[in-house]
Amino acid sequence: MLEVYTWEPNANSGKPLLCLKEKQVDFTYHYIDMGKREQHSEEYKKINPQGTIPTVVHDGFVMTESTPANEYIDDAFDGPSLRPSDPYWRWRMRQVMRYMDNIVCPALAMVASNQLAPPNFQKMSEEERRRELDKIPTPERRKTWEMLMFNTTPRSDIEESKRRIDVAIKRFDALLKDRPYLAGETFSLADIDVMATFYGLPLNSGFEVDAEATPHLWHWLKRCHARPGIQAAFGLGRGFITKRAADVRAALGVETIVAETVA
Amino acid sequence: MLAEKGVDYEDRPLDFARFEQHDETFLALNPDGMVPVLVVDGRPLTETAYILHFLEERFPEPRLDGATPRERYRTHWWDKYVEGHLAPALAVVAGSRGAPAEAAAGVKRLPLERRALWTKALEDGFTTDEVSSAQTALGRAVDQFESALAETPWLGGAAFGLADILAFPHAERLAELAEVPLGARTQRWLEEVRRRPSVAMVMSRRSQGRAFALGPEAPRWG
Repeated sequence: MLEVYTWEPNANSGKPLLCLKEKQVDFTYHYIDMGKREQHSEEYKKINPQGTIPTVVHDGFVMTESTPANEYIDDAFDGPSLRPSDPYWRWRMRQVMRYMDNIVCPALAMVASNQLAPPNFQKMSEEERRRELDKIPTPERRKTWEMLMFNTTPRSDIEESKRRIDVAIKRFDALLKDRPYLAGETFSLADIDVMATFYGLPLNSGFEVDAEATPHLWHWLKRCHARPGIQAAFGLGRGFITKRAADVRAALGVETIVAETVA
Repeated sequence: MLAEKGVDYEDRPLDFARFEQHDETFLALNPDGMVPVLVVDGRPLTETAYILHFLEERFPEPRLDGATPRERYRTHWWDKYVEGHLAPALAVVAGSRGAPAEAAAGVKRLPLERRALWTKALEDGFTTDEVSSAQTALGRAVDQFESALAETPWLGGAAFGLADILAFPHAERLAELAEVPLGARTQRWLEEVRRRPSVAMVMSRRSQGRAFALGPEAPRWG
């Protein structure tokens, strides 16, 4: 039995969903509502004591890291191969994923969460915010959430994160100049990783992603958004992420071919 | 890894004492100025864990990345833990003790993502909070090694493999820099790794004296 505990098809939370839909593997989706901070609940911490999402559980084997979990999914199940057969392109796939994990995802998470989260926390009393913080098991994450709840992320850090995302956009555009996918000729876990985080960039006015400024990235976004597996995965959400993916397809001129299932 | 696989290679050691890893020649191979770089048929490969996976896939015998999908997941889990979590914490603790002033010239050639950590080390720019968080992370790493080795004899599972090769030098640094001693199982594991002919051979070639180097930056969010 394969179970995924996660939030929406978005960023790290979405990586196993995109991977499983592309691999065409059936699974049970346990929706963890990040808006209600369910990932910090006692019930969820019994499954993943770190209080992070996603968690993938296969016949009792618990996986809490999304990049290794996606390697596992491709390794353990039948279905279309999501890793290039050539060792050099596999190295490239992993290098892209490492760059995402270490540099790009933290940068985008910082920018996005600082846009969205602080206003919601202003409505809560300080005592209530402290109580929520105490539920977070790891000190690194507690620090991040504290900055969000009290709106104290240094502006210079947010600016540096924006710069890093701009660099990543240019770097990926260059990688896609001569090849259709980030790890060469075939769609791979690297494309899943970047799509989960970059899928909405055409609608984000903060970054320059369009047919003129980043033509190769633009065409890659079109190719990926046209895939049935990717569309099915974005269709799994309960609300604004699924709508956003549909809006991006419209902006890119990509036809919707997979009917959305309402969770 | 190359010795375990019995593969021939040309060794190009860098002089860390004069920060050769920040010279233009090396930065042309890896702009981040981090070792190792594996050059295969003219193409430079970076990132230690992924160099090891490349070697595994290019030279599949003997298999070192795990016998089952679960063991291979554990191996990938260690990649991420060692290079994404342990190495950055080690870098903060090592860096907080200062870096040699001769490093300053080369650091200017690094990209911003890499320069920040070096600048802090050169100018004593670490906050008490950063250093104590890093020490906490090292304390947890000591527990992590010990509990993993209580489950399986090697980090990846039943047999010696890629995860052990990757984690070994970081575990040695952990023994030096953590405020708490390594557990008994971890110390035994370190001894067994050191006794492997491949490791003994590589260690005997290692230059004497202490060079100063810094690992990767910790993820800045999340």
